[in-house]
Amino acid sequence: MKRTGRFWVRGWTLAAWLAAASLLSGAWAPAARAAEKPIKIGFGMALTGGLAANGKAALLSMQIWADDVNAKGGLLGRKVELVVYDDQTKPAAVPAIYTKLLDVDKVNFVVSGYGTNLIAPAMPIVMERGLVFMGLFGLAVNEKFQYKSYFQIMPSGPSPMTDWSRGFFDIAAKQTPKPTTVALVGADAEFAINAVSGARQNAKKMGLKIVYDKTYPPATVDYTPIVRAIKATNPDVVFVGSYPPDSVGMVQAAHEVGLKPKLFGGGMVGLQYAAFLARLGPKLNGIVNYDFWVPEPTLNFPGIEAFLKKYQAKAAQAGVDPLGHYLPPWSYAYLEVLGQAITATKSTDQKKVADYIRSHEFTTIVGKVKFGSNGEWATSRVLQVQFQGIKDSKIDQFHKPGKRIVVYPEAWKSGNIQYPYSSAK
Amino acid sequence: MRGRTLLGIAIAVVIGGYLTTRFVSHGYFYFASYVILQYIMLATAWNILGGYTGYVNFGSAAFFAVGAYTSIVLIKAFKAYFIFLALAGGLASALLGLGIGYLTLRLRGVFFSIATLALAVVLQTAVINWEYVGGARGIYILRARSMPFFSSYTEFLFFMMVLFAVLSVAAAWWIENSWVGRGLAAIRDNEEAAECMGVPTLRLKLFATTVSGFIMGLAGAPFPYYVTYVEPSSAFNLDYAVNSLAMPMIGGTTSWLGPLVGAVLLGAAQQIATVTISSAWNLLIVGVVLVAFVILAPEGIVGLALRLARRKGG
Repeated sequence: MKRTGRFWVRGWTLAAWLAAASLLSGAWAPAARAAEKPIKIGFGMALTGGLAANGKAALLSMQIWADDVNAKGGLLGRKVELVVYDDQTKPAAVPAIYTKLLDVDKVNFVVSGYGTNLIAPAMPIVMERGLVFMGLFGLAVNEKFQYKSYFQIMPSGPSPMTDWSRGFFDIAAKQTPKPTTVALVGADAEFAINAVSGARQNAKKMGLKIVYDKTYPPATVDYTPIVRAIKATNPDVVFVGSYPPDSVGMVQAAHEVGLKPKLFGGGMVGLQYAAFLARLGPKLNGIVNYDFWVPEPTLNFPGIEAFLKKYQAKAAQAGVDPLGHYLPPWSYAYLEVLGQAITATKSTDQKKVADYIRSHEFTTIVGKVKFGSNGEWATSRVLQVQFQGIKDSKIDQFHKPGKRIVVYPEAWKSGNIQYPYSSAK
Repeated sequence: MRGRTLLGIAIAVVIGGYLTTRFVSHGYFYFASYVILQYIMLATAWNILGGYTGYVNFGSAAFFAVGAYTSIVLIKAFKAYFIFLALAGGLASALLGLGIGYLTLRLRGVFFSIATLALAVVLQTAVINWEYVGGARGIYILRARSMPFFSSYTEFLFFMMVLFAVLSVAAAWWIENSWVGRGLAAIRDNEEAAECMGVPTLRLKLFATTVSGFIMGLAGAPFPYYVTYVEPSSAFNLDYAVNSLAMPMIGGTTSWLGPLVGAVLLGAAQQIATVTISSAWNLLIVGVVLVAFVILAPEGIVGLALRLARRKGG
């Protein structure tokens, strides 16, 4: 009993010393800048569910951004802290997540999760409070909302639906012999339907005769009947709007059936991921497909190499796309835009930051970014990339230039198209 | 007397719901509560058929989505008032319940369950191909910025869900304590014996599917305003089917209190998990809890509590 009492006395003495020491150090610290509250940036991200593979890759690159910024002393002298919740790829979870971020966690800024379905449910909450809102890969989300503080980092351009496939049809128009017929095919789901409807408009504008125009259910397993039906119409151009599993299915079926249009590809999601590049290998040769960034010399923006180095070093451990060419640079860049605006305005005021983003150009790892009046990129930078000279399925070859040649737009062109498709195959 | 006490509690909950909107300004509270209230309705509705009558509905998501898409049609065509949307959503789902019940409930056993499972797939495919309601690309439904008597539309939605949830639980309570509930229980225990005793089994089963469908539709009708962007895979999400089955199983299927307790506990656990664990683990919650309850307490929480109380008393 006595010993316990002595221990208590010693405990109190120690506590008193500690308290005194901390008080003293506090008094001597120069205005304790580091102790200032961090700038919190909150968001929901798909860490489980259908979009988890991309969501996790996006989160990794966002953490790299936060580390980079904090290593340089943070924003406005305050550390940056990311607050993230898993939206499970469920739109219904989004409203609660964003209100939790704003009301309970009291974040300074919110940015969007990945994909149209998960951006849209956050919009009314953001609009009610007049917040600046950076979007990550949503297609034409702001068309209905018309919210002026929304900014989309995906470079679809001012008319997202048609800008997406404009390049593909521009390329077609310039070729000899000029194609005259087109087949449009897409999955029965949000992005694919939009991509195909944009392609339809572009095809009509170009005067192509549409010989096939159909959708297929997203859960389709065997694509050979679809490709056979397309082949039967003998189109010059085949535009595909598809999600990762179907993109692979379509490419494989096209090889099996011997589909030989003059131009093949367009809006196939998934052909940008390392896993699918390796899986399809030489079967990709000749396909012309959209992309946003590839390691070609024309797109070697300052900072991108350093970023990819950091990302790729951590990718294996995080279990995400080892190349990181598709989404990660953009999820880094949308925070870069926000960070630069905060620094330039020296403020965390939503209106000031939004006004700045609206009226300025930003230099990011994905190049110069300037937003138009609807929050989309002022000019489209959807690239059309042709797969060329792929000999095997090794992933290393995709780290370097020369395998995915930018053939559109002119400003970023890194090589010439091999036309028709069968000559590059 | 017991009925009156419960009526008093129900009225108090509704008034409490309204007063909450006066004093609580946290948006998070309303959105999280909305989800839980929605599950109270779905679980209660499921239990009227699954718990009282013994017919398992695997297609709750379809009934929920019919409510949601009925709303969308009315908003698009007539910009209809919220209360009409809710009633129409409920009625459309009720008709669907009646129809599916009429087609399958003459047969006993698993046919109804199989039909409900197929129903969800068929309806989802139909919606995917129906361009007017957005089809596969989905549709944006903008909610009003404000609402008379409420400081935001979210608060209004919350209050309406409180009201609907109270009405749903009251309906379940009435069914349980009336001759209808006794008839349904007779069907669950032994349908042939019930039929022999003069219980109008088909009519009662149809009544149960209709009421259950109505409540599920009513739960789905405000969904477009809650989420603002509806596309088939979110409206027909498997979560609705799984949760509306798991919640009564966990809470207890024999009384109106079971689904209520199950929905509040499981719904709250899911909401908390979303903002705390933040990993694939939160997906396991429903599965693990369900398996644990089926093994350890097949009568659910309410059944377990009653058993313990009885043991203590006697």
